Amino acid sequence: MNGAGHGERPDGRIDAALASLPRELPPARDLWPDIESRLEPRRRRGAWAWQAAAAIALVAVSSLVTASLVRRADAPVARTSTQASQAAVMPTTFGPSYSLNAEYDMARRQLATDLEQRLAGMPPSARQKLEANLAEMHRAAAEINVALARQPGHPLLEELLLNTYQDELGVLASVNQLTGTAPAATARQENVKL
Amino acid sequence: MSVAANESELERARLAAEERRLVAAAVKGSSEAFERLYRLHAGKVYGLCLRMTGNREAAEDCTQEAFVQAWRSLPRFEARSSFGTWMHRIAVNAVLARGRRRTERVGAAESIEDGLMLTLADGEIGDTGDGLDVEAAIASLPPGARQVLVLAGVYGYSHEETASMLGLAVGTCKAQLHRARQLLGQRLGTEEASR
Repeated sequence: MNGAGHGERPDGRIDAALASLPRELPPARDLWPDIESRLEPRRRRGAWAWQAAAAIALVAVSSLVTASLVRRADAPVARTSTQASQAAVMPTTFGPSYSLNAEYDMARRQLATDLEQRLAGMPPSARQKLEANLAEMHRAAAEINVALARQPGHPLLEELLLNTYQDELGVLASVNQLTGTAPAATARQENVKL
Repeated sequence: MSVAANESELERARLAAEERRLVAAAVKGSSEAFERLYRLHAGKVYGLCLRMTGNREAAEDCTQEAFVQAWRSLPRFEARSSFGTWMHRIAVNAVLARGRRRTERVGAAESIEDGLMLTLADGEIGDTGDGLDVEAAIASLPPGARQVLVLAGVYGYSHEETASMLGLAVGTCKAQLHRARQLLGQRLGTEEASR
């Protein structure tokens, strides 16, 4: 979206009026019961379909991760991670049988190490908020991983998981960027786009 | 980056993570997760449908249809766009399909005036002075112009996105938007009416 309508006459009253309208208008009644009554149970796809999808997804994900690491080749060398940083960053896995590249994990651990240093200087309320939000991302990744373990190679689940990892990296990088200079910004630019 | 921007990004990332978790669960068949997605997005979808149709009953039908279609299509959802944007596309399709069915059945598009009266009678769209005038003016536009104005003017989609959603040529979309703005200006009595 880029606001074609808003961009044509930025000083017009019509533009201002349209832009001021609320995007959300809740329905007058709860529509969910009618919707729920029409939902059909999900049918499982055949095993052959999952195997084919898994093979395609594995190749695609491998290519993406490899490409990101090639771009990352000139980034600073990662430091040894601390126990605390291990807790701050989630393990990056794809279902039961596939893990992200070790170098990629190392870059993430560096961000987490930096984060621990930043967190130490943050007000308790800010730290609590950040940790709660990171926990939600970890929860999402964990649950998507569980789903992936049941449906290995599911393209949507793979993509949802990658997006969650990207967002986590983005948050780690932006926190580092906000609280001091760190290689995080570079890492974010080069790593977030898997 | 400011603290506010950072907090905003953090909140966005948290909501996005929650949404992905719900989508993943819904793909597995959890209607509870899908209900949560409905609760998160019903207002946005219904608002779009109400503005595009100008009619409360039609908007409710289209909202229900959109979520039912989304449930069926969820395994094919590509997470490159957000779930909300994807839902908007499905809702637009539901509105267009309903319009086609009605046209085939009664030979004419739904009465905008009836829809407008229903909506205004309920006070459902806006109740704060200028907002009500604008909503009423939008609802009174011809369907084609109204749909383009809602997508491009209210929801900020580009000409290309709007044209794609409505199955129009980009040039047609621009012409409809120009027409819609002129008509809206006339109804609101602004200076833009004469431009």
